[in-house]
Amino acid sequence: MCGIVGLHLKNPALQPELGRLLVPMIEAMTSRGPDSAGLALYDDEGMHVVKDVGLPRDICAAHGIASRSGYQAVGHTRMATESAITPEHAHPFTPVPDLALVHNGSFSNHASVRRNLAFDGITCTTDNDSEVAARFIGREIAGGADLEDAMRMVLKEFDGFFTLLVTTATQFAVLRDSFACKPAVIAETADYVAMASEYHALAELPGIADARIVEPEPERVYAWSR
Amino acid sequence: MIDPTQAGLRESATFDRATIASIQRAAETGVYDIRGWGAKRAVPHFDDLLLLGASMSRYPLEGYRERCDTDVVLGDRHASNPLHLDIPITIAGMSFGALSAQAKEALGRGATEVGTSTTTGDGGMTPEERGQSKNLVYQYLPSRYGMNPDDLRSADAIEIVLGQGAKPGGGGMLLGQKISDRVAGMRTLPAGIDQRSACRHPDWTGPDDLTIKILELREITDWQKPIYVKVGATRTYYDVKLAVAAGADVVVVDGMQGGTAATQEVFIEHVGIPTLAAIPQAVQALAELGLHRKVQLIVSGGIRTGADVAKAMALGADAVAIGTAALIALGDNHPRYADEYAKIGSAPGFYDDYQDGRDPAGITTQDPDLAKRLDPVEGGRRVANYLRVLTLEAQTLARACGKAHLRNLEPEDLVALTIEAAAMARVPLAGTSWIPGQNF
Ligand SMILES: Cc1cc2nc3c(=O)[nH]c(=O)nc-3n(C[C@H](O)[C@H](O)[C@H](O)COP(=O)(O)O)c2cc1C
Repeated sequence: MCGIVGLHLKNPALQPELGRLLVPMIEAMTSRGPDSAGLALYDDEGMHVVKDVGLPRDICAAHGIASRSGYQAVGHTRMATESAITPEHAHPFTPVPDLALVHNGSFSNHASVRRNLAFDGITCTTDNDSEVAARFIGREIAGGADLEDAMRMVLKEFDGFFTLLVTTATQFAVLRDSFACKPAVIAETADYVAMASEYHALAELPGIADARIVEPEPERVYAWSR
Repeated sequence: MIDPTQAGLRESATFDRATIASIQRAAETGVYDIRGWGAKRAVPHFDDLLLLGASMSRYPLEGYRERCDTDVVLGDRHASNPLHLDIPITIAGMSFGALSAQAKEALGRGATEVGTSTTTGDGGMTPEERGQSKNLVYQYLPSRYGMNPDDLRSADAIEIVLGQGAKPGGGGMLLGQKISDRVAGMRTLPAGIDQRSACRHPDWTGPDDLTIKILELREITDWQKPIYVKVGATRTYYDVKLAVAAGADVVVVDGMQGGTAATQEVFIEHVGIPTLAAIPQAVQALAELGLHRKVQLIVSGGIRTGADVAKAMALGADAVAIGTAALIALGDNHPRYADEYAKIGSAPGFYDDYQDGRDPAGITTQDPDLAKRLDPVEGGRRVANYLRVLTLEAQTLARACGKAHLRNLEPEDLVALTIEAAAMARVPLAGTSWIPGQNF
């Protein structure tokens, strides 16, 4: 259905390399999501979002991603399930400033959550289920919740299958549902935290052979801050 | 006698045999027909809806390994002691008087065994049912028969009854043959004389006065007990809004198919709207107030299977209540009583004379010999079994739709088989995106 990748740099020396490290990661996820792709990159000026229809290789080339620098990035390749293939339907969803969400899976009660959000005056602009989760987390954060708490609220509110990677200007967080069927792997070294749907997306990263590799447990929020 | 169909005779659709018999009966007796059960005519119902199971775009859950929770909390809006039920299927209010003490006890035993609630009814609370029911909802009805503040305080929740789906706008009836000394004593009425209960509460009418009544009940019970308001389904959208405005913690909506112990046939068949049509109205009212799933919605009227439970919940109910089906589980209309049904002019599958007290199954009677036929322990076991099956069936369907909790079923999981059901339930006709009456 989809592929997700993310990179959170701890070592500032790697920041000029962010784009160069990220491009092979997202390209490795092409077969999981050939419809469209998107990225959010964070540097000192803020969050920059690129999303479009097409293959990740072409989108990265068109936007010169390989030469971008920054301290953190998420990427997504999409295989659409129940909603249209347009740039707006592509991930990441960025409902509030500095927040980016990428999702792999399928929520089974998003119509109900969407209605509850609408009652609070929060309307989704697409019929994509992942946007509902992004807006839900956005609302919690706008209400003062910290990202980890907001992600825990997702466990209470949402049913279905999900691996979520959510970032803010300062945080990088991963969460899987209680069934933990949608794949995820996290690699951590002294220099970075990297996350992907499949390990081979991480295989090119420097020092990966010595990284601490974990498969995230169900219903546990894994979070890093800078 | 010739076989009319073999002989090529044609029966009238307008004047069918039941209609002819009822005209003949009316002409002979000069009194209208009173019976039990609910509406017998066909109306759009849950069978006209189908669930969209998961396949590729969504993922189903594994039946025996992956959880699908069923618990529900009822009444946490204002009450400090809301009800925590293990399953969202409750036993509806059926009076002692309409039912034997044994039947009431059996319902309490069955409900308690599976962690759900049962409900009193017109005529008060019996010690048998209080004793055997962990969660007992106490009905507060227009008649106030058997109503007393001690029982009110010993209940786990209070249900203010404005009406019933079988007879919205009508009061209760209990015919003299069922008014034994015990029933009469609890109601402070003479034994053996037909009794009609009021269609309206004696001390309040409308939501403005109900607000005061609810506050009174909260004071008596120290703000601990959830307060339900039960309405028969008619102008459900407005009634639910007003019940909430008056302060209800839980709203119970009973559709026109809902059962009754004794009501005029003309009332049962011609007043009210189908359960299917009532649920979306109730949910719309709650959603507009921002209180859907905060003020809980209990739906009743024609719930028979786990599919009905799942579909009611998908339309937005928090829980359902069952009446007739629980009586059938106890043994009502069982073929083993065929000969005895024949003696009183009925047959298994057709028996609906709950009003007359001669129930061969010993359920809707006060005759001590008939009532003895129902063993409350065995009856409780049967009710518990039935409730378990309903739950397992509902879970099966919810898992197929990828839900780890029954309450996460949603209208988007449903499609309708007929245009009527699509319009009433506000879900698309199967295979289309067309919801009649919407997007015009
Ligand atoms: C025998 C019998 C007695 C009933 N007594 C009452 C009653 O005292 N108070 C009340 O609110 N509803 C009463 N009802 C209606 C039920 O509470 C419930 O609304 C209805 O049975 C639900 O529909 P169902 O029978 O299709 O499940 C009675 C129903 C039956 C079958």
